[in-house]
Amino acid sequence: MSEREFIVPVGPQHPALKEPESFLFKVDGEVVLDVEPRIGYNHRGIEKAMEARTYLQNLYIVERVCGICSNAHQTCYTQCVEEVLGMEIPERAKYLRVFMQELERIHSHLLWLGVAAHEIGFDTLFYYIWRDREVVMDLLEMVSGNRVNYAMPTIGGVRRDLEVADFPKYHKMLDTLKERTEYYIGVCSSEKTILERAIGVGYLSKEDAIRLSASGPNARCSGVSCDTRYDLPYLVYDEIPWNVIVETNGDVLGQVLVRVKEVLESVNICKYVLDNLPQGPIKAKYSPLGKVPEGEAVSLVEAQRGELIHYLQSRGDNKPYRYKIRAPTLGNIPSLVERLKGGFIADIPIVLAGIDPCFSCTDRMAFVDEGKDRRWDMTGEQLRRYGIRWYEK
Amino acid sequence: MALLTWARTRSPWLIHFNASACNACDIEVLAALTPRFDLERFGALLKGTPRHADVMVISGSVSRKVRDRLKRIYEQMPEPKFVVAVGSCAITGGVFQDCYNVMEGVDKVIPVDAYIPGCPPKPEAILDGVVKLLKSAGY
Amino acid sequence: MSVLEENIKVVEGLVKFLGKKNILESKVPRARRAFVSVPREQLIDAVKYLRDEEDIKHVTTISGVDTGEDFEVVYHLRKPDLSISVKVRAPYDDPVVPSITGVLEGAVLYEREVYDMIGVKAEGHPDLKRLILAYDWPDGVHPLRKEWDIQSLRKRVDGTEWGRK
Repeated sequence: MSEREFIVPVGPQHPALKEPESFLFKVDGEVVLDVEPRIGYNHRGIEKAMEARTYLQNLYIVERVCGICSNAHQTCYTQCVEEVLGMEIPERAKYLRVFMQELERIHSHLLWLGVAAHEIGFDTLFYYIWRDREVVMDLLEMVSGNRVNYAMPTIGGVRRDLEVADFPKYHKMLDTLKERTEYYIGVCSSEKTILERAIGVGYLSKEDAIRLSASGPNARCSGVSCDTRYDLPYLVYDEIPWNVIVETNGDVLGQVLVRVKEVLESVNICKYVLDNLPQGPIKAKYSPLGKVPEGEAVSLVEAQRGELIHYLQSRGDNKPYRYKIRAPTLGNIPSLVERLKGGFIADIPIVLAGIDPCFSCTDRMAFVDEGKDRRWDMTGEQLRRYGIRWYEK
Repeated sequence: MALLTWARTRSPWLIHFNASACNACDIEVLAALTPRFDLERFGALLKGTPRHADVMVISGSVSRKVRDRLKRIYEQMPEPKFVVAVGSCAITGGVFQDCYNVMEGVDKVIPVDAYIPGCPPKPEAILDGVVKLLKSAGY
Repeated sequence: MSVLEENIKVVEGLVKFLGKKNILESKVPRARRAFVSVPREQLIDAVKYLRDEEDIKHVTTISGVDTGEDFEVVYHLRKPDLSISVKVRAPYDDPVVPSITGVLEGAVLYEREVYDMIGVKAEGHPDLKRLILAYDWPDGVHPLRKEWDIQSLRKRVDGTEWGRK
């Protein structure tokens, strides 16, 4: 078997938002043998900066760790700090936090679905989905005042309240989302263009998903029933009726089905919250310059992409001594590598997009095909078009 | 010459570059291209390679690893070219100003022609910024 | 049996397995959270016990902390209904801990991150090299150590000083 060397560093830009990242692929002909991810383009030194700011100032930098999961990071942060403070937040605040988190899950999954459609070359679906996603963006703006980076959770509760008079409007918007999502489930399960690119592509078995500590929809599409909202319940997820969505396909189609069905689950949770919102205050008392007693806490939250963990060590100051954040995608990289092995070069864009990566990755992909002694670079866009052309044959 | 300017400003081809941003500005730039806000009515198309682009849209606080890439991409673009810095991180470093890995603003690395503030700026603000840039270029 | 009681049983089982003198600290502050502190020689045995007896196979992450007197490495593991954090310490002049990648493969990237940020080596790691910092970042400068603050880091790496003038 002859091996050829191709190095394909892909340019650090991608039309459908991707974060900067570099991959080194070892290929043999059209088949991928091994992958080495090179991350760190998005490293801003946040953990160090957090040690120099007060707890309330950190709320706003934590939000900007990732713009799509900003609410998840804030929920996790406030939970962590409140646990060390020993503070119990009011019931109404818990329900409102759940409401915001599920709305963000809807917006993120719809965004992902559009991007995945774009990766396959199905641009019409991309535009349709993003047009329908504007419904949830409007809802977010009505509730929190901003389309992205809502800053709703704060230490002690939430920052803004909902007006009962607006509930019928919210219900109507949620019903629209439900109807459109059901339409997209139908499209994704039956449209030949999608099925051809998605079935059997990027397969990961259940054993591998457990062995490599995968989490989130990435693991649930391979049959692993793990969801932080169910395993380690926080806020009021143990009071609200909802289901963990698990698919057994293990391939890209499984990723699509898990996420789209989760949108429906989230819509149901949001409607339940609106119908069962308890009365009461939305914030407990917290003084902005207050000191946090000595202690440590681990906070786990089910973000859109998987399991998110924050770890705080406090030494009795008004600034954290050590704050550790691990975003879900870092945990999903080993399983991503496993998915790519044995696949074709043409499948790389969709498998990469399949795990819903959220590290500023500049689609910089390098290919190494040991044998032909050639080093070759490909940009994300070229790779995407290569994949589309390859399947058209 | 006037004909060239007329043609160029009515079809600005964009390339979007994410220089270690948190993604919030990126999804608003992308939303600006979707049917509701529709940047494409100004002739703007999102291209995947710098060699075809007139305008580079940058979001994000430039980190150390990304800095050289950014310069290389800028050099790959043909003249005349424009650079738009989207979001407060691209303008001054934003909320990450005193982080050790962050350059304070894109204009410390390459020259910038338009600044669109916000965290993130709404798609309407991005449209406004691009239109102002085109006007200043002779639309 | 309530969740809290089950969690306490897990910790007690670990204490019994390693021997009381090998457990430096153990606490279950609330249901679903446990913290255990062990000497670094016992780390592999502790993780193996948790994997084989308690079915704890998922590594959430690994945190490195510069406590001011030495380095502390915290391994966050979990299974349904319990998140257990195993802590080990390594002195300043010997910042090495055994690698758990032989027991739990999911730890492979986290140990690289700890090496990059704090400078604690994981002995036995298949490919211990830089993960996050830039290629031209100077060796031996580990940002999350307490000897550096942001100003001195920028000066050391960039030659410039940050300042809002």
